[in-house]
Amino acid sequence: MIEVKNLTKNYGDRKAIDTLSFKVSKGEVVGFLGPNGAGKSTTMKIITGYMAPTSGSVEVDGLDVFEDPVEVKRKIGYLPEIPPVYGDMRVIDFLKFCSRLKGVPGKTMNSAVASAIEKTSLQDVQKRMIQNLSKGYKQRVGLAQALIGDPEILILDEPTVGLDPTQVVEMRKLISSLRGNHTIILSTHILPEVQANCDRIIIINNGSIVASETLADLAQSQSGTCRIGVQVARDVEKAKSKVSLVEGVKHILINGMRLDIEMSHSSEGIEAVATQIVESGSGLLEFRIESSNLEEIFIKLTSEKETSMGGVQ
Amino acid sequence: MRAMFAIAWKDFRSLVSSPIFFVISGLFCCLLSFTYIRQIFDFARRSMVLAHQGQGVNIHMSVFASHLSLVNLILLLAIPVFTMRALAEEKKMRTYDLLLTSPITATQISFGKFLAVFMSGMVLLLIAAIYPLGTALFADFSWGPLISSFIGLALLMGIYIAIGLFASSVTSSVILAAFLGMVLILSFWFIGQGAGFSDDPVLSAFFEHVSVGQQFVSFLQGTLKLTAVVYMLSAIALFVFLTQRVVESSRWR
Ligand SMILES: Nc1ncnc2c1ncn2[C@@H]1O[C@H](COP(=O)(O)OP(=O)(O)OP(=O)(O)O)[C@@H](O)[C@H]1O
Ligand SMILES: [Mg+2]
Repeated sequence: MIEVKNLTKNYGDRKAIDTLSFKVSKGEVVGFLGPNGAGKSTTMKIITGYMAPTSGSVEVDGLDVFEDPVEVKRKIGYLPEIPPVYGDMRVIDFLKFCSRLKGVPGKTMNSAVASAIEKTSLQDVQKRMIQNLSKGYKQRVGLAQALIGDPEILILDEPTVGLDPTQVVEMRKLISSLRGNHTIILSTHILPEVQANCDRIIIINNGSIVASETLADLAQSQSGTCRIGVQVARDVEKAKSKVSLVEGVKHILINGMRLDIEMSHSSEGIEAVATQIVESGSGLLEFRIESSNLEEIFIKLTSEKETSMGGVQ
Repeated sequence: MRAMFAIAWKDFRSLVSSPIFFVISGLFCCLLSFTYIRQIFDFARRSMVLAHQGQGVNIHMSVFASHLSLVNLILLLAIPVFTMRALAEEKKMRTYDLLLTSPITATQISFGKFLAVFMSGMVLLLIAAIYPLGTALFADFSWGPLISSFIGLALLMGIYIAIGLFASSVTSSVILAAFLGMVLILSFWFIGQGAGFSDDPVLSAFFEHVSVGQQFVSFLQGTLKLTAVVYMLSAIALFVFLTQRVVESSRWR
C-alpha cells in the first residue's frame, strides 16, 4: 500500500531523515515512535505530498507521490502536528469546506460531515466558532477533517496530543474500528498507545529506522538479552573485572556504586554473575534482573544510536 | 472546479465579514460621497455658466472620470490590504498544510484565492457605481463610456489583486505581504512614467504601451480597445501564474 524507498530529507545542511525505507501493507496499523526531532513528522509530510524529499521515492497504491500528487492525496487523510483549522469558521462549515476540497460528491457531503462529527464526538460544538474551542476540541476538529470522505489511508501525527483521557480511549476505539478497512500510520511518544493500537512499530532515531517489527517480534528479539542492576558497598572496579569474565556478558556500565550489566539471557549466566560478585567481596547490596518492556526497548534503541553518533543531536 | 469555488467562497466570506473590510468600505463610502457631491455641484454650476455661452459640457469627463480615478487611487491602497491575508496567513496558521495535502492543484488554489478577493473588490466597485447610477435619475448621459470605464476599473483591480496575491505568496508575514503588495503595485504604475523622460520615440512608445495608466485612460475615454483588454488580462495572468509557481514550489523547500 505504502512503499517508502531510500527517503532522505535535508533542511539546508541539516539532515532530518536519512535513507529511510519501509513498507506498510493494506489494513496495517503502524506506529511511528521516536524521540523529539527524530524525523517522524518529516517522513509523514513527505508521504502526504506536502513536501518533496531531497532524494528517494514514495509510492502509494502503486502511484508515485510526486508524479500523481492529486490522485495520491485523494487516498490520504492527514492530521498534521498543528491541526489545520480556520478560527473564523464554524465547525460544521469548516468540515463542509474540507469535504469540498477533498471532492466528496455533493449528495453525500452532509452524511460524510455528519459521520466525521459523530466519530470524533463533536456534536455539541458543531455550531461554534473554531477559535473559541479548547485545544483538545481543535485537535478533534483536525481529526474529523482527516476522516472526511473515508480515505483509505490515514496519517495521524500525534493524534492524541491534547485530548482528555476519555477522548484518548475514544481515539483508541476509533482506531480499532477503522482497523482492517484502513491503513493507518500514527506517530506518538506514548508507548501504551502503540501497544494498544498498532500491529507494528517503526522506531526512528536521528532520521534512521532502528527497529521495524511487530510488537511480539520486538519483545522476542530483545528477550535474548537481559539487564542486571547490581548495587555494591565497595570496590566497584573489582566487581566489574570479575563479572566481565563471565561468558555472555556484553556490556558493563559503572554508575557510582552501581553496575549495569547487559548479558545474554541464561540462568547459568545470571548465576555466574551473582557468584562472581559475591566472590569479589565487594559487598552485594542489591541484585535486580530488569525485565525488558517496550519502554526499555525504546530507550535502549534510541540511546544506543545516539551514543554511537557521538552523543550529539 | 468545485474545490476552487469552495476556496473562493470561504475566503470571500471571511474577508467581507472581517472588521478590516467594514472599515475600508466605510471610509471608501465617506470619501466618495464627499468628493462626488462637491464635483456634481461644481459641474452643475459650470454647466449653467457655459450653457449661457451656448456651450455643452461632458459629465463623463468632468465628473465620472475624476470619480473613477479616485476609486482607482483608493483601490491601489485597499487591495493589498485585502490580499495580504490570502496566503501569508494560511502559512502562519498552518492551514496551508490542509490546502497542500488536499487533492487540488496549485492552480486551483491560486485562482480560488484570486476570485475571493476579486468578489470582495467587486463589492467596492458596486458601491462606487451607485454614484453615477444615482446621477442617472436626474441627468441624461451616454452609458457607453461609463460602462467601458467600469470594465477597465475591474480589470485594473484584477491586476492589483494578482500582484497583491503574489506578494502574499512569498511571505508568511501579513504586514510584509501588504507592504510588498503596495510597493509592487505602485512600481507597476510607475513603469509607464518612464515615457515622459525618454527622448527616443521608440522607447517612449514602448513605455506608453506598457504603462497601465495609459491603458486605463483608453477605457476612461470610452474606447474599449482589444489591445488594452488583452494587456490587462495578460498582466493578471502573469501574476496569478507567478503566485501559482510559488505555491507549487513550497513543496520543494
Ligand atoms: N522547516 C524546518 N526547517 C529546518 N529544520 C527542520 C524543519 N522541520 C524540521 N526540521 C528538523 O528536522 C528534524 C526532524 O524534525 P521532525 O519534525 O520530523 O521531528 P519529529 O520526529 O516529528 O519530532 P517531534 O517528536 O518533536 O514531533 C529536526 O531536527 C528538526 O529540527
Ligand atoms: Mg513531530
